[in-house]
Amino acid sequence: MIIEINNLHVSVNKTKIIKGLNLNIGPGEVHAIMGPNGSGKSTLAQALAGRQDHEITSGSVQYLGQDLLQMKPDERARAGLFLSFQYPVEIPGVSNVYMLKAALNGRRKAAGEPEIDSVEFMRFVREKAALMGLDQKFLSRGVNEGFSGGEKKRNEIFQMAVLEPRFAILDETDSGLDIDALKVVANGINQERDGNRSFLIITHYQRLLDYVEPDYVHVLANGQIVKSGAKDLALELEEHGYDDILAAANG
Amino acid sequence: MNNPNQPAADTLHNTWQNRNPGSPGWLQTFQKSALAEFAQTGFPTTRMEDWKYTDVRKLAAAYPQWLINQAAQNTDNTSNSLEIDQAIRVVFVNGIYNAEKSTQNLPEYIQVGKLSELATKYPELLKKKLGKLAKNTDSGFIAINTAFSETAIIILLPDNTELQQPIHIEYFSSAEKTSVQPRVLVDLGTNSKATIVEHFSSSVAAITNTVTEIHCSAGSDLTYYRLQEEHIEAWHTAVQYIHLERDASVNAIIIDCGALLARNEMRLCLAGPGATADVKGLLLADGSRHIDSRLSVEHAARETRSCEHYRSILADKARGVFNGRILVQQEAQKTVAQLTNRNLLLNPGTEINTKPELEIYADDVKCAHGATTGKLDEASMFYLLSRGIDPVAARNILVAAFASELLTDIQIPAVVEHAQNAMRALRLS
Repeated sequence: MIIEINNLHVSVNKTKIIKGLNLNIGPGEVHAIMGPNGSGKSTLAQALAGRQDHEITSGSVQYLGQDLLQMKPDERARAGLFLSFQYPVEIPGVSNVYMLKAALNGRRKAAGEPEIDSVEFMRFVREKAALMGLDQKFLSRGVNEGFSGGEKKRNEIFQMAVLEPRFAILDETDSGLDIDALKVVANGINQERDGNRSFLIITHYQRLLDYVEPDYVHVLANGQIVKSGAKDLALELEEHGYDDILAAANG
Repeated sequence: MNNPNQPAADTLHNTWQNRNPGSPGWLQTFQKSALAEFAQTGFPTTRMEDWKYTDVRKLAAAYPQWLINQAAQNTDNTSNSLEIDQAIRVVFVNGIYNAEKSTQNLPEYIQVGKLSELATKYPELLKKKLGKLAKNTDSGFIAINTAFSETAIIILLPDNTELQQPIHIEYFSSAEKTSVQPRVLVDLGTNSKATIVEHFSSSVAAITNTVTEIHCSAGSDLTYYRLQEEHIEAWHTAVQYIHLERDASVNAIIIDCGALLARNEMRLCLAGPGATADVKGLLLADGSRHIDSRLSVEHAARETRSCEHYRSILADKARGVFNGRILVQQEAQKTVAQLTNRNLLLNPGTEINTKPELEIYADDVKCAHGATTGKLDEASMFYLLSRGIDPVAARNILVAAFASELLTDIQIPAVVEHAQNAMRALRLS
């Protein structure tokens, strides 16, 4: 098991958002979480990544046999957890390539390995950038500086490809993308599916799941998973909306 | 009537009398009147608007003893000196010109030595230039510099001369409880071009009190970098006057990252039509340091442009002061001026006092100013952490990013390197 979430409760600004969530994800599995707005999807993603103002009020999360909740955000990332942000921040003055190199070397340092060779790094990074349709010049620009929404999302997946995580959480990566950008992003994700890497794809619409086929689909409503199924559950939601499932859950 | 400045003025006068540098009569008269002007203004106090946040009582108490303490020439250079490729290097150690460490055979447009010697050799020149821009009454420290300066450099670039090599003036203090009073006089001829770098560093508690007077003739172009990295217990007070004639331009970067207490003031006058100025300033302080960096820009002619951008990064219990003043005279129509100040406080317990001032008497101008103060952006921090970068490295990255806009235009890598090292060395509480 890569990640085991047990009865997780998360509050933000004293408001309870996640109210007893259970989820197990095995190696190589792709899990999709869908749900209406306000159900807590992003809260779950940010809490797993270790955001400070997301308070874990009870429950536990085991990641690769370790207590994830005891780990700091940068420790979680170095242990192979990756979060693709829903709203990636712009950081002018810090180049994309500089940040990635610092990230990779941070990881290597923690594993007792030497720093990455510059030439090898640039070759690797350029290759991944090309795959994501990102212009080579962007590497020396500030992180997300002047990027459109679609470019920011492509940058997130590009970073995932470079950092090679064990467990990737994709928080509404498809929101705001047109169909072409969506295909590029989906392709980027699929390229990284190697049977070992696990994914938690958070999405509001089913569209992305046409291109990135999930193994499991879960419906998150009111802070809990109310239904789980195989990939056709996503199609069902697309057709009938969330109302039926929510009614069934509440009734 | 009791003049509260009189005791200090008398002591300084006696100290001055006891020196015998062999100055020509005219210079002695000039210096005596500087001391009389000191008696008028005295050391700055926090009751003066311009010194409201900067308390120099401890520094004032160190005068005149530190003036009296003689420094032996110390040739052991353990300084953090700048290494600039191809530069014409002029090195002062404890205020004394060090020919050995300097470029051999200085070009004739650079004269270096004791003020008393230069005043004897070039009386007409000194009479014309000394104190032409700097007024002793502007500050008690200027009066002291005029009276006691022994370290002098005169740069007179002829007309139509474009210098390829930067002129690098290096000041290093290694003698404890002494003072250095450099006086720098620069004149760029018409259509001339030069880069001048002043670098200050020290290994002990010492005083540096410097006055730089720069005249830029019509069409001339000056690039001026000033890097102050004095010892944690040192005091540094400085003023630069820059006077720009028609179509002259200055591109200046002032970096203050040292000293216990540092006060730097840049006074620019755009005196001829078409003159332009671009001034960037970076203040870095941690511990209990106090940095007061200010500038005033006077637009005294039409179609002049200025852009001032100062940023400070403060940590631990440091105090920063920024004052940016733009004065647009009535005849300075079509002036364009912009002043920006941004401050980054890395932890609670630091303090910045920032005051932009605009005094505008012309009616066809474009002037803007803004000042913001904040801490490190949490979203940016979390983003970096989420990529596996540890908190100290992440903070260093964001601090460097904050200053990067100011450093991108610097043509001399060593200056950028020193600034980056200083940023990495900042310690939080």
